[in-house]
Amino acid sequence: MDTFIQLTIDGLTLGSVYALIALGYTLVYGVLKLLNFAHGDVFMVGSFIGFGVLQLLGGTSNPIVPIWALIVLITLAAIVGCSVLGVAIERFAYRPLRDAPRIAPLISALGVSFFLENSMQLLFGAQPRNYDTFSLANGALYLRGIDIGSVRLPLLRIITIVVAFVMMFLLWFLVTRTRSGKAMRATSFDREAAAMMGINIDKVIVFTFVLGSALAGVAGVMFGMRVPTNVTIGFVAGLKGFTAAVIGGIGSIPGAMAGGLILGFAESYTQGYVSTKWSDLFVFLILIAFMIFRPQGLFGRADIRKV
Amino acid sequence: MKKLIGLALAVLVASVAAGTASAGPKVAAASGISCSGTIKIAIVTPLTGGAGFLGAEQSSWAKYAVATLAKPMGLKIQLVLGDTPVEQGPAIAQTLAQKYVADPKVVGVIGPATSGGAVASTQTYNQAGIAQVDQSATSTTLTKHDSSQKPPYTGTPSFFRVIPGDYVQGPTDARYMINTLHAKNVAIVDFQEPYSVGLANAASAVLKKAGVTVTRLSAPNTTTDYSAYVTKVPSNADVVFFPTQKPGDAQTFAQQLLEQGKKAKVFGSDGSNDSTAFKVPGSYVSNFAPDITGIAADKAIIAGWKKANPGKTVGSFGPPAYGATQVLMTAIKKACVAGHGTIKAKRDVLRQVKKVRINNWILGGSFRFSTKSNDPLNAKFYIFQIQSNGSYKLVG
Repeated sequence: MDTFIQLTIDGLTLGSVYALIALGYTLVYGVLKLLNFAHGDVFMVGSFIGFGVLQLLGGTSNPIVPIWALIVLITLAAIVGCSVLGVAIERFAYRPLRDAPRIAPLISALGVSFFLENSMQLLFGAQPRNYDTFSLANGALYLRGIDIGSVRLPLLRIITIVVAFVMMFLLWFLVTRTRSGKAMRATSFDREAAAMMGINIDKVIVFTFVLGSALAGVAGVMFGMRVPTNVTIGFVAGLKGFTAAVIGGIGSIPGAMAGGLILGFAESYTQGYVSTKWSDLFVFLILIAFMIFRPQGLFGRADIRKV
Repeated sequence: MKKLIGLALAVLVASVAAGTASAGPKVAAASGISCSGTIKIAIVTPLTGGAGFLGAEQSSWAKYAVATLAKPMGLKIQLVLGDTPVEQGPAIAQTLAQKYVADPKVVGVIGPATSGGAVASTQTYNQAGIAQVDQSATSTTLTKHDSSQKPPYTGTPSFFRVIPGDYVQGPTDARYMINTLHAKNVAIVDFQEPYSVGLANAASAVLKKAGVTVTRLSAPNTTTDYSAYVTKVPSNADVVFFPTQKPGDAQTFAQQLLEQGKKAKVFGSDGSNDSTAFKVPGSYVSNFAPDITGIAADKAIIAGWKKANPGKTVGSFGPPAYGATQVLMTAIKKACVAGHGTIKAKRDVLRQVKKVRINNWILGGSFRFSTKSNDPLNAKFYIFQIQSNGSYKLVG
């Protein structure tokens, strides 16, 4: 039972990060019908921004602000930084190709991904960056928490899960309860009709990129707080975020959330009960199975064409 | 139409057959390289990627060796850097090998740094007669037969190394766990590549023979979050042997062990030796080199290196790279003397490598190769324990 509880905690933590990444993919796809393969690298940049701001605030061995303020500030910095990056990517890599054949922005997205990874490497080098959160308050984030039976849910995991769910809730609220969200949904449904109704499509698309990139930034910080970050993490994280978005239904926000969590649990339980060697294989087998048997994903709509 | 397709296929097959008929790398002969001109040596190491810190350190020490030793030997040496990011697997080492064998001025190679890269490329270098003097690839099968591995031997006569192999490290670490730590239950994690699998197998054999319960776990080399693996570590495990090439991962694993309330101590191999990245107190690390800052004879070398690399600290991967460069340049010098100022063929350098003797070896004492293998004579591994202030203390 303890193993099951521990694996569930692991899956929830992993899944929360995957869900944040998947939401970025699904938001952009929903509005632009574009797979933003640079999204994983925006997540990577977010983790680096968090690391940089953390050093400016004194690092974890000598922070100049309380721990809670440290986490809030580095997360906000990643949100702002990644939002700006997302706007720049949309403006220079995707907008000029909006009316081009669908393959063109896809290739551009891949190019942006390589550009970001290699630029970060040139600027900051290959060395992994460790937030070293273990040094905060003598390891309190790891050693203190809530006990569930004989299993501990450490503070750091609680923070990751809570922050992820708060961000998902805020996104849901924004998309379903605000005018901007309404404009996004209208654009997603029918871009031309939305434009004819007076919605500024360019602003909506920029706003979508801001949202998606901000979430990637948060995911990057949550990731970096637990494991070392380096310039190559974006690729695998992006693949898994994309897989989660597809499982949930690409273009569906609840789907992306569910897909991320499902992926996190699948990976965790496979590693725990089947084999640690097979977890990635199993995850991508799930993707293939969904593509074959339910391509619209769990919450997506089947694409019906009138003949 | 069908005839046309058949003809095209036949032409394609014939072209492929002709292209592969001359097997082996295209070797550019070194005939007539004047020893008064520029001679090239290459260092093959991960300069980028998760293990980029290792390559940065090794290349800085190799450059320093060239800068300080070449001139007194009467040589003009150009050091060429070859990048082999660990995330790209061993194939890139083979690509670089083909590039260097085709370069007429490259007469020797330091590396590849990783065992996977060395295994992938040594046949190419051997066919071309290019000497490899390795600074950190420790896989046993590169210099010795190991029947527990598949294949049991992956080395060639052109592969030499200045550090001992895993057949020393694995058993050394295992015996320390048994005799000093009194471990009864050990978990071992490998990363599905030659370095860690070789070490894991070597340690596991010794542990099992001593009656220790061994749990084997296997993680892909791209793993960053070890939570699920930590969950599988038995709660009564005394030690987790973690032969990684990424010290940050050893730190993550040790932190996550504490996070889950497990008592096992992490025991890292030489690949995790980095006091800035792996510093959970109470953990252990083994390494093929002692801390050279404690060797009096190295004071001048260290001072000179620090001057050339301001702000950097002496690690454990750099000094063997210095030593390997010194061995290779000494072999080049011997080939020049034997050839009366000319290296007629790249093999001339290779023939001299085994004869190299160095007094005042950077890793302590003197250096020569064993007569029984292309490994150093009487090499050993050292065990360090991480202290509460993050420093590494020699304990075995």
